[in-house]
Amino acid sequence: MSKNENVVSTAKSEWIKFRTVNSTIIGIAMLFFLTIGFSLLITLVLRAHWDQSTRIDRLTFDPVSTSLVGVFFAQFAVGVIGVLFISAEYSSGSIRTTLAAVPNRVRLVTGKVIVLFGSMFVVCEVVTFVTFLMGQAVFSGVVPTASLSSGSVLRAVILTGVYLALLTLLGFALGLILRQSAASISVFVVILLIVPLISLSFPESWRNDIERFELGNLWTSMASTTTPAHLFSAWSAFAALAIYVVVFLAAGTMLLQTRDA
Amino acid sequence: MLKIDHLTKRYKDTTALDDLDFEVKPGVVTGFLGPNGSGKTTTMRLILGLDHPTKGRATIDGLSYADLKAPLREVGALLDAKAVHPGRTARNHLRALAASNQIPKARVDEVLEFVGIASVAHKKVGSYSLGMSQRLGIAGALLGDPGVLLFDEPVNGLDPEGIKWIRDFFRSLAKEGRTVFVSSHLMSEMAVSADQIIVIGRGRFITQGSVDDLTATAHGTVFVRVSDPPQLISLVKNQNGTVEEMNDGNLTISGLTSDQIGGIAFNAGITILELTPQRASLEDVFMDLTADSLEFGSSKPETAHHE
Repeated sequence: MSKNENVVSTAKSEWIKFRTVNSTIIGIAMLFFLTIGFSLLITLVLRAHWDQSTRIDRLTFDPVSTSLVGVFFAQFAVGVIGVLFISAEYSSGSIRTTLAAVPNRVRLVTGKVIVLFGSMFVVCEVVTFVTFLMGQAVFSGVVPTASLSSGSVLRAVILTGVYLALLTLLGFALGLILRQSAASISVFVVILLIVPLISLSFPESWRNDIERFELGNLWTSMASTTTPAHLFSAWSAFAALAIYVVVFLAAGTMLLQTRDA
Repeated sequence: MLKIDHLTKRYKDTTALDDLDFEVKPGVVTGFLGPNGSGKTTTMRLILGLDHPTKGRATIDGLSYADLKAPLREVGALLDAKAVHPGRTARNHLRALAASNQIPKARVDEVLEFVGIASVAHKKVGSYSLGMSQRLGIAGALLGDPGVLLFDEPVNGLDPEGIKWIRDFFRSLAKEGRTVFVSSHLMSEMAVSADQIIVIGRGRFITQGSVDDLTATAHGTVFVRVSDPPQLISLVKNQNGTVEEMNDGNLTISGLTSDQIGGIAFNAGITILELTPQRASLEDVFMDLTADSLEFGSSKPETAHHE
Protein backbone atom coordinates (compact mmCIF):
# COMPACT_ATOMS: atom_id res chain seq x y z
CA MET A 1 0.00 0.00 0.00
CA SER A 2 1.39 3.37 -0.90
CA LYS A 3 1.87 5.72 2.00
CA ASN A 4 0.89 8.71 -0.04
CA GLU A 5 -2.29 10.60 0.15
CA ASN A 6 -4.90 9.65 -2.35
CA VAL A 7 -8.60 10.03 -2.85
CA VAL A 8 -9.27 6.84 -0.87
CA SER A 9 -7.39 8.10 2.18
CA THR A 10 -9.16 11.44 1.85
CA ALA A 11 -12.53 9.70 1.71
CA LYS A 12 -11.64 7.58 4.77
CA SER A 13 -10.76 10.70 6.67
CA GLU A 14 -13.94 12.47 5.61
CA TRP A 15 -15.99 9.43 6.56
CA ILE A 16 -14.61 9.60 10.10
CA LYS A 17 -15.40 13.31 10.18
CA PHE A 18 -18.90 12.82 8.78
CA ARG A 19 -20.02 10.27 11.32
CA THR A 20 -18.35 11.71 14.41
CA VAL A 21 -20.35 14.90 14.76
CA ASN A 22 -23.80 15.22 16.27
CA SER A 23 -25.11 17.38 13.43
CA THR A 24 -24.96 14.39 11.07
CA ILE A 25 -26.70 12.07 13.54
CA ILE A 26 -29.36 14.66 14.37
CA GLY A 27 -29.82 15.54 10.71
CA ILE A 28 -30.40 11.92 9.74
CA ALA A 29 -32.74 11.42 12.71
CA MET A 30 -34.71 14.48 11.57
CA LEU A 31 -34.76 13.11 8.04
CA PHE A 32 -36.38 9.88 9.23
CA PHE A 33 -38.70 11.60 11.67
CA LEU A 34 -39.97 14.19 9.16
CA THR A 35 -40.33 11.89 6.18
CA ILE A 36 -41.94 8.98 7.97
CA GLY A 37 -43.89 11.16 10.41
CA PHE A 38 -45.55 13.41 7.84
CA SER A 39 -46.15 10.58 5.38
CA LEU A 40 -47.80 8.53 8.11
CA LEU A 41 -49.96 11.44 9.21
CA ILE A 42 -51.12 12.31 5.71
CA THR A 43 -51.70 8.74 4.53
CA LEU A 44 -53.75 8.03 7.65
CA VAL A 45 -55.87 11.14 7.12
CA LEU A 46 -56.35 10.21 3.47
CA ARG A 47 -57.45 6.69 4.34
CA ALA A 48 -59.91 7.99 6.94
CA HIS A 49 -61.51 10.39 4.45
CA TRP A 50 -61.27 8.25 1.32
CA ASP A 51 -65.04 7.62 1.22
CA GLN A 52 -65.60 11.39 1.02
CA SER A 53 -63.23 11.90 -1.93
CA THR A 54 -64.60 12.95 -5.30
CA ARG A 55 -64.40 11.00 -8.52
CA ILE A 56 -61.72 13.38 -9.84
CA ASP A 57 -59.69 12.87 -6.66
CA ARG A 58 -59.89 9.15 -7.17
CA LEU A 59 -58.96 9.31 -10.85
CA THR A 60 -55.89 11.51 -10.28
CA PHE A 61 -54.82 9.73 -7.11
CA ASP A 62 -51.19 8.55 -7.20
CA PRO A 63 -50.42 6.10 -4.39
CA VAL A 64 -46.65 6.42 -4.97
CA SER A 65 -46.08 10.17 -4.63
CA THR A 66 -48.85 10.50 -2.04
CA SER A 67 -47.19 7.94 0.22
CA LEU A 68 -43.88 9.81 -0.16
CA VAL A 69 -45.33 13.23 0.70
CA GLY A 70 -43.06 13.56 3.78
CA VAL A 71 -40.13 13.89 1.38
CA PHE A 72 -41.15 17.53 1.05
CA PHE A 73 -39.91 18.09 4.60
CA ALA A 74 -36.97 15.75 4.16
CA GLN A 75 -35.57 18.14 1.56
CA PHE A 76 -34.68 20.64 4.28
CA ALA A 77 -33.08 18.04 6.52
CA VAL A 78 -30.78 16.76 3.76
CA GLY A 79 -29.95 20.31 2.66
CA VAL A 80 -28.82 21.17 6.17
CA ILE A 81 -26.76 17.99 6.43
CA GLY A 82 -25.01 18.86 3.17
CA VAL A 83 -24.42 22.51 4.08
CA LEU A 84 -23.03 21.72 7.54
CA PHE A 85 -20.63 19.10 6.22
CA ILE A 86 -18.53 21.95 4.82
CA SER A 87 -19.76 25.14 6.51
CA ALA A 88 -19.00 23.74 9.98
CA GLU A 89 -15.38 23.47 8.87
CA TYR A 90 -15.39 27.16 8.15
CA SER A 91 -17.22 28.23 11.31
CA SER A 92 -14.89 26.18 13.52
CA GLY A 93 -11.79 27.03 11.51
CA SER A 94 -11.00 23.35 11.05
CA ILE A 95 -10.96 23.86 7.28
CA ARG A 96 -7.36 25.02 7.74
CA THR A 97 -6.42 21.77 9.46
CA THR A 98 -8.25 19.88 6.73
CA LEU A 99 -6.49 21.73 3.91
CA ALA A 100 -3.11 21.30 5.59
CA ALA A 101 -3.74 17.55 5.62
CA VAL A 102 -5.20 17.50 2.10
CA PRO A 103 -3.75 20.44 0.16
CA ASN A 104 -5.22 19.23 -3.12
CA ARG A 105 -8.59 21.00 -3.22
CA VAL A 106 -10.08 18.88 -5.98
CA ARG A 107 -9.19 15.73 -4.07
CA LEU A 108 -10.70 17.14 -0.90
CA VAL A 109 -14.00 17.96 -2.60
CA THR A 110 -14.00 14.57 -4.34
CA GLY A 111 -13.42 12.77 -1.05
CA LYS A 112 -16.18 14.73 0.67
CA VAL A 113 -18.61 14.16 -2.20
CA ILE A 114 -17.92 10.41 -2.22
CA VAL A 115 -18.62 10.18 1.51
CA LEU A 116 -21.62 12.49 1.49
CA PHE A 117 -23.31 11.04 -1.57
CA GLY A 118 -22.42 7.44 -0.71
CA SER A 119 -23.77 7.57 2.82
CA MET A 120 -26.75 9.81 2.07
CA PHE A 121 -27.74 7.69 -0.93
CA VAL A 122 -28.06 4.64 1.33
CA VAL A 123 -29.85 6.61 4.06
CA CYS A 124 -32.27 8.28 1.62
CA GLU A 125 -33.09 5.03 -0.17
CA VAL A 126 -33.81 3.37 3.18
CA VAL A 127 -36.05 6.22 4.27
CA THR A 128 -37.97 6.38 0.97
CA PHE A 129 -38.50 2.60 0.78
CA VAL A 130 -39.64 2.46 4.41
CA THR A 131 -41.95 5.42 3.83
CA PHE A 132 -43.35 3.97 0.61
CA LEU A 133 -44.02 0.54 2.12
CA MET A 134 -45.55 2.10 5.22
CA GLY A 135 -47.83 4.24 3.05
CA GLN A 136 -49.01 1.25 1.00
CA ALA A 137 -49.67 -0.66 4.23
CA VAL A 138 -51.81 2.23 5.48
CA PHE A 139 -53.69 2.42 2.15
CA SER A 140 -54.23 -1.30 1.71
CA GLY A 141 -57.81 -2.45 1.76
CA VAL A 142 -59.28 1.03 1.45
CA VAL A 143 -57.22 3.21 -0.87
CA PRO A 144 -55.66 1.93 -4.14
CA THR A 145 -52.04 0.85 -3.62
CA ALA A 146 -48.92 0.57 -5.77
CA SER A 147 -46.48 -2.32 -5.84
CA LEU A 148 -42.71 -2.35 -6.24
CA SER A 149 -43.11 -5.19 -8.71
CA SER A 150 -44.12 -2.54 -11.24
CA GLY A 151 -41.03 -1.12 -12.96
CA SER A 152 -42.24 2.46 -13.01
CA VAL A 153 -43.20 2.34 -9.31
CA LEU A 154 -39.81 0.94 -8.37
CA ARG A 155 -38.15 3.67 -10.46
CA ALA A 156 -40.21 6.39 -8.76
CA VAL A 157 -39.24 5.18 -5.28
CA ILE A 158 -35.55 4.74 -6.11
CA LEU A 159 -35.36 8.12 -7.87
CA THR A 160 -36.96 9.84 -4.86
CA GLY A 161 -34.05 8.56 -2.75
CA VAL A 162 -31.63 9.72 -5.46
CA TYR A 163 -33.35 13.12 -5.49
CA LEU A 164 -32.75 13.57 -1.76
CA ALA A 165 -29.15 12.36 -1.99
CA LEU A 166 -28.45 14.81 -4.83
CA LEU A 167 -30.14 17.57 -2.86
CA THR A 168 -27.63 16.88 -0.06
CA LEU A 169 -24.85 17.54 -2.55
CA LEU A 170 -26.55 20.74 -3.66
CA GLY A 171 -26.57 21.92 -0.03
CA PHE A 172 -22.92 20.93 0.26
CA ALA A 173 -22.04 22.87 -2.90
CA LEU A 174 -23.84 25.96 -1.56
CA GLY A 175 -21.86 25.63 1.69
CA LEU A 176 -18.68 25.37 -0.33
CA ILE A 177 -19.53 28.54 -2.23
CA LEU A 178 -20.88 30.63 0.65
CA ARG A 179 -18.79 29.14 3.52
CA GLN A 180 -21.41 30.15 6.06
CA SER A 181 -24.08 27.90 7.54
CA ALA A 182 -26.90 30.43 7.87
CA ALA A 183 -26.36 32.02 4.47
CA SER A 184 -26.10 28.67 2.72
CA ILE A 185 -29.23 27.27 4.35
CA SER A 186 -31.12 30.46 3.48
CA VAL A 187 -30.13 30.28 -0.17
CA PHE A 188 -31.06 26.60 -0.19
CA VAL A 189 -34.54 27.43 1.12
CA VAL A 190 -34.89 30.27 -1.37
CA ILE A 191 -34.09 27.95 -4.27
CA LEU A 192 -36.48 25.33 -2.96
CA LEU A 193 -39.43 27.48 -1.89
CA ILE A 194 -39.15 31.08 -3.05
CA VAL A 195 -38.16 30.54 -6.66
CA PRO A 196 -41.39 28.58 -7.41
CA LEU A 197 -43.40 31.42 -5.81
CA ILE A 198 -41.73 33.99 -8.02
CA SER A 199 -42.43 31.96 -11.13
CA LEU A 200 -46.14 31.96 -10.18
CA SER A 201 -46.27 35.60 -11.26
CA PHE A 202 -45.16 34.75 -14.78
CA PRO A 203 -47.67 34.25 -17.62
CA GLU A 204 -48.80 30.68 -17.94
CA SER A 205 -47.09 30.09 -21.28
CA TRP A 206 -43.76 30.99 -19.67
CA ARG A 207 -44.51 28.98 -16.59
CA ASN A 208 -45.05 25.87 -18.64
CA ASP A 209 -41.52 26.29 -19.99
CA ILE A 210 -39.83 27.36 -16.77
CA GLU A 211 -41.43 25.42 -13.96
CA ARG A 212 -40.13 22.04 -15.04
CA PHE A 213 -36.63 23.26 -14.03
CA GLU A 214 -37.63 23.96 -10.42
CA LEU A 215 -36.29 21.53 -7.83
CA GLY A 216 -39.73 20.57 -6.53
CA ASN A 217 -40.94 19.79 -10.04
CA LEU A 218 -37.83 17.77 -10.76
CA TRP A 219 -38.82 15.66 -7.79
CA THR A 220 -42.40 15.45 -9.06
CA SER A 221 -41.02 14.11 -12.35
CA MET A 222 -38.64 11.71 -10.67
CA ALA A 223 -41.37 10.38 -8.34
CA SER A 224 -43.96 9.94 -11.12
CA THR A 225 -44.85 6.68 -12.72
CA THR A 226 -45.79 8.62 -15.88
CA THR A 227 -44.48 11.88 -17.33
CA PRO A 228 -46.57 14.75 -15.90
CA ALA A 229 -47.86 17.46 -18.25
CA HIS A 230 -45.35 20.27 -18.96
CA LEU A 231 -42.71 18.53 -16.82
CA PHE A 232 -39.63 16.45 -17.57
CA SER A 233 -39.71 12.69 -17.78
CA ALA A 234 -38.20 10.94 -14.74
CA TRP A 235 -34.78 10.35 -16.26
CA SER A 236 -34.56 13.82 -17.85
CA ALA A 237 -35.37 15.32 -14.46
CA PHE A 238 -32.66 13.19 -12.90
CA ALA A 239 -30.20 14.41 -15.54
CA ALA A 240 -31.22 18.05 -14.99
CA LEU A 241 -30.71 17.75 -11.23
CA ALA A 242 -27.37 16.04 -11.74
CA ILE A 243 -26.28 18.92 -13.97
CA TYR A 244 -27.30 21.47 -11.30
CA VAL A 245 -25.24 19.59 -8.73
CA VAL A 246 -22.20 19.29 -10.99
CA VAL A 247 -22.31 22.98 -11.93
CA PHE A 248 -22.61 24.13 -8.30
CA LEU A 249 -19.90 21.71 -7.16
CA ALA A 250 -17.59 22.87 -9.93
CA ALA A 251 -18.16 26.50 -8.97
CA GLY A 252 -17.52 25.69 -5.30
CA THR A 253 -14.35 23.77 -6.10
CA MET A 254 -13.06 26.59 -8.27
CA LEU A 255 -13.67 29.10 -5.49
CA LEU A 256 -11.96 26.79 -2.98
CA GLN A 257 -8.92 26.70 -5.23
CA THR A 258 -8.66 30.40 -5.82
CA ARG A 259 -9.70 31.80 -2.45
CA ASP A 260 -7.52 32.04 0.62
CA ALA A 261 -8.73 29.55 3.20
CA MET B 1 14.75 22.72 5.27
CA LEU B 2 12.22 25.48 5.12
CA LYS B 3 12.82 28.30 2.68
CA ILE B 4 10.89 31.52 2.42
CA ASP B 5 11.65 32.79 -1.04
CA HIS B 6 10.86 36.47 -1.65
CA LEU B 7 7.38 36.03 -0.31
CA THR B 8 4.96 38.89 -0.86
CA LYS B 9 1.30 38.87 0.14
CA ARG B 10 -1.12 41.70 -0.46
CA TYR B 11 -4.73 41.81 0.65
CA LYS B 12 -6.55 44.46 -1.34
CA ASP B 13 -4.70 47.58 -0.21
CA THR B 14 -2.66 46.24 2.70
CA THR B 15 0.67 44.52 2.25
CA ALA B 16 0.92 41.74 4.80
CA LEU B 17 4.28 40.44 3.63
CA ASP B 18 6.80 42.42 1.70
CA ASP B 19 9.49 40.41 -0.09
CA LEU B 20 10.18 38.25 2.94
CA ASP B 21 13.22 36.08 2.35
CA PHE B 22 14.98 33.74 4.78
CA GLU B 23 15.79 30.12 5.52
CA VAL B 24 15.02 28.06 8.57
CA LYS B 25 17.64 25.42 9.23
CA PRO B 26 17.11 22.02 10.80
CA GLY B 27 18.62 21.02 14.13
CA VAL B 28 17.90 24.25 15.98
CA VAL B 29 14.85 26.00 17.35
CA THR B 30 14.22 29.08 15.22
CA GLY B 31 12.16 31.81 16.79
CA PHE B 32 10.01 33.92 14.49
CA LEU B 33 9.58 37.20 16.21
CA GLY B 34 7.59 40.27 15.43
CA PRO B 35 4.96 42.51 16.94
CA ASN B 36 1.30 41.61 16.53
CA GLY B 37 0.18 42.12 12.95
CA SER B 38 3.69 41.89 11.55
CA GLY B 39 2.88 38.94 9.29
CA LYS B 40 3.95 35.91 11.30
CA THR B 41 0.68 34.05 10.93
CA THR B 42 0.39 35.06 7.28
CA THR B 43 3.83 33.56 6.68
CA MET B 44 2.77 30.32 8.36
CA ARG B 45 -0.43 30.21 6.28
CA LEU B 46 1.53 30.72 3.08
CA ILE B 47 3.95 27.93 4.03
CA LEU B 48 0.96 25.60 4.42
CA GLY B 49 -0.54 26.71 1.14
CA LEU B 50 -3.68 28.00 2.86
CA ASP B 51 -3.32 31.42 1.26
CA HIS B 52 -1.92 32.19 -2.14
CA PRO B 53 1.19 34.36 -2.27
CA THR B 54 1.08 37.50 -4.40
CA LYS B 55 4.71 36.85 -5.28
CA GLY B 56 7.42 34.40 -4.32
CA ARG B 57 6.98 31.05 -2.64
CA ALA B 58 7.66 28.97 0.41
CA THR B 59 9.29 25.57 -0.02
CA ILE B 60 9.94 22.54 2.14
CA ASP B 61 13.05 20.72 0.90
CA GLY B 62 12.54 22.43 -2.42
CA LEU B 63 8.87 21.54 -2.81
CA SER B 64 5.78 23.67 -2.47
CA TYR B 65 3.43 22.45 0.23
CA ALA B 66 0.83 21.44 -2.36
CA ASP B 67 3.37 19.12 -4.00
CA LEU B 68 4.10 17.11 -0.86
CA LYS B 69 2.94 13.52 -1.28
CA ALA B 70 1.86 13.14 2.35
CA PRO B 71 2.08 16.62 3.86
CA LEU B 72 1.46 15.60 7.47
CA ARG B 73 4.51 13.32 7.31
CA GLU B 74 6.68 16.22 6.18
CA VAL B 75 5.28 19.23 7.97
CA GLY B 76 3.44 19.41 11.27
CA ALA B 77 1.77 22.68 12.10
CA LEU B 78 -0.11 24.24 14.94
CA LEU B 79 -1.66 27.49 13.78
CA ASP B 80 -4.83 27.97 15.74
CA ALA B 81 -5.46 25.53 18.56
CA LYS B 82 -9.18 26.29 18.57
CA ALA B 83 -9.57 25.48 14.87
CA VAL B 84 -11.13 22.10 15.56
CA HIS B 85 -14.79 21.10 15.24
CA PRO B 86 -16.00 21.59 18.82
CA GLY B 87 -18.43 18.68 18.59
CA ARG B 88 -15.84 16.07 17.76
CA THR B 89 -13.73 14.22 20.31
CA ALA B 90 -9.99 14.71 20.33
CA ARG B 91 -9.36 11.09 19.36
CA ASN B 92 -11.78 11.24 16.42
CA HIS B 93 -10.27 14.52 15.28
CA LEU B 94 -6.81 12.95 15.23
CA ARG B 95 -8.09 9.72 13.68
CA ALA B 96 -9.56 11.66 10.77
CA LEU B 97 -6.30 13.56 10.34
CA ALA B 98 -4.28 10.34 10.47
CA ALA B 99 -6.51 8.62 7.93
CA SER B 100 -6.09 11.43 5.42
CA ASN B 101 -2.33 10.83 5.28
CA GLN B 102 -2.36 7.06 5.85
CA ILE B 103 -0.84 7.35 9.27
CA PRO B 104 -1.49 4.21 11.37
CA LYS B 105 -4.26 4.48 13.97
CA ALA B 106 -1.87 3.42 16.75
CA ARG B 107 0.01 6.67 16.25
CA VAL B 108 -3.07 8.61 17.43
CA ASP B 109 -2.93 7.09 20.91
CA GLU B 110 0.83 7.55 20.96
CA VAL B 111 0.65 11.31 20.40
CA LEU B 112 -2.34 11.70 22.75
CA GLU B 113 -0.28 9.99 25.45
CA PHE B 114 2.76 12.10 24.61
CA VAL B 115 1.04 15.47 24.99
CA GLY B 116 -0.76 14.30 28.10
CA ILE B 117 -4.41 14.43 27.06
CA ALA B 118 -5.03 10.69 26.59
CA SER B 119 -7.35 10.62 29.59
CA VAL B 120 -9.66 13.25 28.06
CA ALA B 121 -9.34 12.12 24.43
CA HIS B 122 -12.92 10.80 24.43
CA LYS B 123 -14.29 14.24 25.35
CA LYS B 124 -15.53 16.76 22.85
CA VAL B 125 -12.97 19.37 21.94
CA GLY B 126 -15.47 22.15 22.61
CA SER B 127 -15.13 21.47 26.33
CA TYR B 128 -11.34 21.87 26.27
CA SER B 129 -9.46 24.73 27.89
CA LEU B 130 -7.08 26.69 25.66
CA GLY B 131 -4.16 24.82 27.21
CA MET B 132 -5.72 21.44 26.40
CA SER B 133 -6.52 22.62 22.87
CA GLN B 134 -2.88 23.67 22.46
CA ARG B 135 -1.81 20.19 23.49
CA LEU B 136 -4.26 18.66 21.03
CA GLY B 137 -2.87 20.95 18.33
CA ILE B 138 0.65 19.81 19.17
CA ALA B 139 -0.51 16.19 19.02
CA GLY B 140 -1.90 16.89 15.55
CA ALA B 141 1.38 18.45 14.46
CA LEU B 142 3.35 15.42 15.67
CA LEU B 143 0.97 12.88 14.15
CA GLY B 144 2.98 12.27 10.98
CA ASP B 145 6.37 12.41 12.72
CA PRO B 146 7.35 15.27 10.40
CA GLY B 147 10.78 16.76 9.83
CA VAL B 148 9.50 20.32 9.82
CA LEU B 149 7.38 21.72 12.63
CA LEU B 150 5.61 25.06 12.66
CA PHE B 151 4.09 26.53 15.80
CA ASP B 152 2.24 29.82 15.81
CA GLU B 153 2.28 31.39 19.27
CA PRO B 154 2.32 28.00 21.00
CA VAL B 155 2.74 29.21 24.57
CA ASN B 156 -0.52 31.15 24.51
CA GLY B 157 -2.83 29.67 27.08
CA LEU B 158 -0.29 27.32 28.57
CA ASP B 159 0.36 27.32 32.30
CA PRO B 160 3.95 27.74 33.54
CA GLU B 161 4.41 24.00 33.72
CA GLY B 162 3.14 23.69 30.14
CA ILE B 163 5.48 26.45 28.98
CA LYS B 164 8.45 24.70 30.56
CA TRP B 165 7.33 21.45 28.96
CA ILE B 166 6.98 22.99 25.52
CA ARG B 167 10.43 24.63 25.67
CA ASP B 168 12.09 21.32 26.49
CA PHE B 169 9.97 19.70 23.83
CA PHE B 170 11.10 22.15 21.12
CA ARG B 171 14.71 21.54 22.09
CA SER B 172 14.33 17.78 21.92
CA LEU B 173 12.63 18.04 18.49
CA ALA B 174 15.51 20.18 17.23
CA LYS B 175 18.06 17.80 18.73
CA GLU B 176 16.51 15.03 16.64
CA GLY B 177 17.50 17.05 13.59
CA ARG B 178 14.08 18.52 12.85
CA THR B 179 13.38 22.04 11.68
CA VAL B 180 11.48 23.80 14.45
CA PHE B 181 9.97 27.17 13.59
CA VAL B 182 8.17 28.92 16.43
CA SER B 183 6.50 32.30 16.21
CA SER B 184 5.98 34.64 19.11
CA HIS B 185 5.50 38.30 19.85
CA LEU B 186 7.28 37.86 23.17
CA MET B 187 11.01 38.45 22.99
CA SER B 188 11.52 37.16 26.50
CA GLU B 189 9.92 33.85 25.53
CA MET B 190 12.07 33.50 22.44
CA ALA B 191 15.21 34.43 24.36
CA VAL B 192 14.89 31.30 26.45
CA SER B 193 13.35 28.89 23.96
CA ALA B 194 15.01 29.69 20.61
CA ASP B 195 18.57 29.26 19.35
CA GLN B 196 18.13 31.35 16.25
CA ILE B 197 15.84 34.31 15.92
CA ILE B 198 14.32 35.86 12.82
CA VAL B 199 12.78 39.27 13.40
CA ILE B 200 10.14 40.75 11.13
CA GLY B 201 8.08 43.90 11.31
CA ARG B 202 5.31 45.13 9.03
CA GLY B 203 5.84 42.11 6.83
CA ARG B 204 9.48 42.92 6.24
CA PHE B 205 12.55 40.99 7.24
CA ILE B 206 14.48 42.94 9.88
CA THR B 207 17.28 40.76 11.13
CA GLN B 208 18.35 37.23 11.84
CA GLY B 209 20.86 35.75 14.26
CA SER B 210 21.45 34.01 17.55
CA VAL B 211 20.25 35.63 20.74
CA ASP B 212 23.85 36.72 21.48
CA ASP B 213 24.32 38.15 17.99
CA LEU B 214 21.24 40.26 18.38
CA THR B 215 22.17 41.73 21.73
CA ALA B 216 25.74 42.35 20.57
CA THR B 217 24.59 44.51 17.69
CA ALA B 218 22.61 46.71 20.00
CA HIS B 219 24.26 49.79 21.41
CA GLY B 220 24.19 49.77 25.14
CA THR B 221 24.29 52.83 27.36
CA VAL B 222 26.75 53.86 30.02
CA PHE B 223 25.74 55.02 33.44
CA VAL B 224 28.05 57.75 34.78
CA ARG B 225 28.39 59.61 38.04
CA VAL B 226 31.07 62.36 37.99
CA SER B 227 32.28 65.33 40.02
CA ASP B 228 31.34 67.88 37.37
CA PRO B 229 28.36 66.77 35.32
CA PRO B 230 27.85 69.98 33.22
CA GLN B 231 31.43 69.87 31.94
CA LEU B 232 31.19 66.21 30.98
CA ILE B 233 27.88 66.79 29.25
CA SER B 234 29.34 69.42 26.95
CA LEU B 235 32.42 67.30 26.24
CA VAL B 236 30.32 64.24 25.45
CA LYS B 237 28.08 66.27 23.18
CA ASN B 238 31.18 67.48 21.31
CA GLN B 239 31.99 63.83 20.63
CA ASN B 240 28.48 63.21 19.27
CA GLY B 241 27.33 61.31 22.34
CA THR B 242 23.83 61.61 23.69
CA VAL B 243 23.32 62.41 27.32
CA GLU B 244 20.31 61.90 29.45
CA GLU B 245 20.56 63.80 32.69
CA MET B 246 18.83 62.40 35.68
CA ASN B 247 17.47 64.38 38.60
CA ASP B 248 20.35 63.61 40.94
CA GLY B 249 22.99 64.66 38.42
CA ASN B 250 23.71 61.13 37.27
CA LEU B 251 24.08 60.70 33.53
CA THR B 252 23.13 57.97 31.05
CA ILE B 253 25.25 58.28 27.94
CA SER B 254 24.67 56.54 24.67
CA GLY B 255 26.68 56.63 21.46
CA LEU B 256 30.01 56.32 23.25
CA THR B 257 31.68 53.36 24.93
CA SER B 258 32.69 53.38 28.60
CA ASP B 259 36.34 53.43 27.48
CA GLN B 260 35.79 56.60 25.45
CA ILE B 261 33.91 58.31 28.26
CA GLY B 262 36.62 57.38 30.75
CA GLY B 263 39.21 58.91 28.43
CA ILE B 264 37.27 62.13 28.01
CA ALA B 265 36.83 62.52 31.74
CA PHE B 266 40.47 61.80 32.44
CA ASN B 267 41.71 64.37 29.91
CA ALA B 268 39.43 67.01 31.37
CA GLY B 269 40.39 66.20 34.90
CA ILE B 270 36.90 65.18 35.89
CA THR B 271 36.70 62.68 38.71
CA ILE B 272 34.71 59.61 37.85
CA LEU B 273 32.69 58.33 40.78
CA GLU B 274 30.93 55.60 38.89
CA LEU B 275 31.08 54.29 35.29
CA THR B 276 28.91 51.29 34.40
CA PRO B 277 28.27 49.98 30.88
CA GLN B 278 24.70 48.78 30.61
CA ARG B 279 24.11 45.98 28.14
CA ALA B 280 20.94 46.19 26.15
CA SER B 281 18.45 43.49 27.01
CA LEU B 282 16.97 41.41 24.24
CA GLU B 283 13.70 43.15 24.94
CA ASP B 284 15.35 46.54 24.27
CA VAL B 285 16.83 45.22 21.05
CA PHE B 286 13.49 43.99 19.90
CA MET B 287 11.79 47.26 20.75
CA ASP B 288 14.55 49.08 18.94
CA LEU B 289 14.36 46.91 15.85
CA THR B 290 10.63 46.96 15.50
CA ALA B 291 9.94 50.46 16.74
CA ASP B 292 9.19 51.70 13.24
CA SER B 293 7.08 48.76 12.31
CA LEU B 294 4.46 48.53 15.01
CA GLU B 295 1.05 48.39 13.49
CA PHE B 296 -0.51 50.21 16.38
CA GLY B 297 2.51 51.86 17.96
CA SER B 298 1.95 53.75 21.16
CA SER B 299 3.64 57.09 21.09
CA LYS B 300 5.61 58.25 24.07
CA PRO B 301 3.38 59.97 26.58
CA GLU B 302 3.91 63.70 26.39
CA THR B 303 3.89 65.96 29.35
CA ALA B 304 0.92 68.20 29.39
CA HIS B 305 1.69 71.85 29.68
CA HIS B 306 -0.68 74.09 31.52
CA GLU B 307 -0.44 77.76 30.88
